Amino acid sequence: MIELLRVPSLLTVQDAGRKGYRKLGVPVSGYMDDFSARIANYLVGNPGDEPLLEFLLGGPTLRFNASAVFAVAGDVDLRLNGVPIEPWTSYWAKRGDVLEVGTLNNGLYGYIAFAGGVKCEKLLGSCSTYARAGLGRPLKAGDRLNLGHAILTGKEGRYLPEELRPDYSAEEIAVGVIPGPDLDHFTEEGIRTFLSETYTVTPESDRMGYRLDGKEIEHSGKGAGIVTGPLVPGTVQAPASGRPIVMMRDAQTTGGYARIGVVISAHLSMLAQLRPGFRVRFREVNVEGAREELLRRERTLRAIRLFLERNMRAYRVRIAGEEIVTFAKVEKEG
Amino acid sequence: MKVKPLGDSALLISFGEVINEGINDRVHALARAIEKAGFEWLVEVVPAYSSLAVIYDPTLIDFEGVKRAVEGVEASAESFEGELVEIPVVYGGEYGPDLEFVAKHSGLSVDDVIEIHSKPVYRVYFLGFLPGFAYLGGMDERIAAPRLERPRLKVPAGSVGIAGKQTGIYPLESPGGWRLIGRTPLRLFSPERKPPTLLQPGDRVKFVPIDEEEFLRLYQEEWGND
Repeated sequence: MIELLRVPSLLTVQDAGRKGYRKLGVPVSGYMDDFSARIANYLVGNPGDEPLLEFLLGGPTLRFNASAVFAVAGDVDLRLNGVPIEPWTSYWAKRGDVLEVGTLNNGLYGYIAFAGGVKCEKLLGSCSTYARAGLGRPLKAGDRLNLGHAILTGKEGRYLPEELRPDYSAEEIAVGVIPGPDLDHFTEEGIRTFLSETYTVTPESDRMGYRLDGKEIEHSGKGAGIVTGPLVPGTVQAPASGRPIVMMRDAQTTGGYARIGVVISAHLSMLAQLRPGFRVRFREVNVEGAREELLRRERTLRAIRLFLERNMRAYRVRIAGEEIVTFAKVEKEG
Repeated sequence: MKVKPLGDSALLISFGEVINEGINDRVHALARAIEKAGFEWLVEVVPAYSSLAVIYDPTLIDFEGVKRAVEGVEASAESFEGELVEIPVVYGGEYGPDLEFVAKHSGLSVDDVIEIHSKPVYRVYFLGFLPGFAYLGGMDERIAAPRLERPRLKVPAGSVGIAGKQTGIYPLESPGGWRLIGRTPLRLFSPERKPPTLLQPGDRVKFVPIDEEEFLRLYQEEWGND
């Protein structure tokens, strides 16, 4: 069991999200940055979708009331019983140990995973928090959480090398976007604006949607309103103001504003980590290109998992002057 | 029927930008047929007024594959008759603070508004916006009313409202700009129940006026001492 001693910001339990209830109006939810969250789970020997803790900017202070193996994903200062320890590394904690998680130096969301996962009552098939509908609630100081059973031996001491960690320090990023189904609600000029201008994330952004500021996107004579239709996380809506809103994991399931594009799955976690005031550009990708990018990302995650389980080695190689990291299988001896 | 990508993990099938029962029947018939087909790549189907999203796992199939598969699905033509769900509503007073505004705006008496609102059998076109929120069709336009200029910060769960030519019930406490005319003691969304929503797409809804005493009795039954 762990006990939360200090909770400085939004701290929630999340997993891969809620599936099968969108037709009843229930959002997907789940971790905002699936890349970091899945690696956090791999670091402690879990499957990628085990429930873990997601914090916004500032992490909690917590006490272990029994032995556990944990890892923190994010560029953040950590202390275990006052002694600095490393993120992206799994540690063994004893009964009574206190973990202090600082404030992220980069990005918005960090993750704390535990071997065996955070135990929770599944609601509609998932532990993901969607407080608005009574599906879990934000955690607060004094809360105690049980952890799932896991063999701890061999789960500690796993370490993700720096060059494999996601880098969320850039103040401007480009994300791939597939043109949306309602392009006829925009002028050609409006579509060009969307695909060429730079947009700034505003502070009115949360797990439901990121509101962007920048050059107005011009609507055609059909206007901003559509007959209410389905939305998915990543959908970029442009209401009458012409300022785009990107729907995120807690997005409502349907909406009434014209959908100009959908951010590709492989890049949504990058966007999720973009701080208010930072900027994004949308670059057009077709649906085949988006899938290739996603499959490449899945292969990377699989390789990272095998690497952490010590079934793969990572090598640095130089190709055409560019240094990249590649993986090779460890040959079993005998 | 138009098929377009909605990102790289969903496909949007649209029958045009219209709101009518015939089109919505087609949406639900196709949604059910796709769900029944047992595709291993299918995550879920999200129906709306005149379109539906087919959510798929892009690691298992590509867009063209999903497109071919859904175009090959034969939806039965018969329309789907959901359940008739009676929803008790206490109209006016603290439960419906805008009832008098709606009456004044429509040039009708308060009793007329209640009668006009509780007479029709409404159709649940689909659920969206919030868990358990039903998009109802069939409201008499005589009681149409504009939204509030400033939305309320807290609308209690169960509040029945009017916005333009639509009527609906807030399933959860949330901010909202609809004109509130009454409140139901029933829970529209309860995650611990199966199914978690009182209304399902395709159901029919009839509002039944009740008095405050009845409301309090039913409220206690539904919500306990919550």
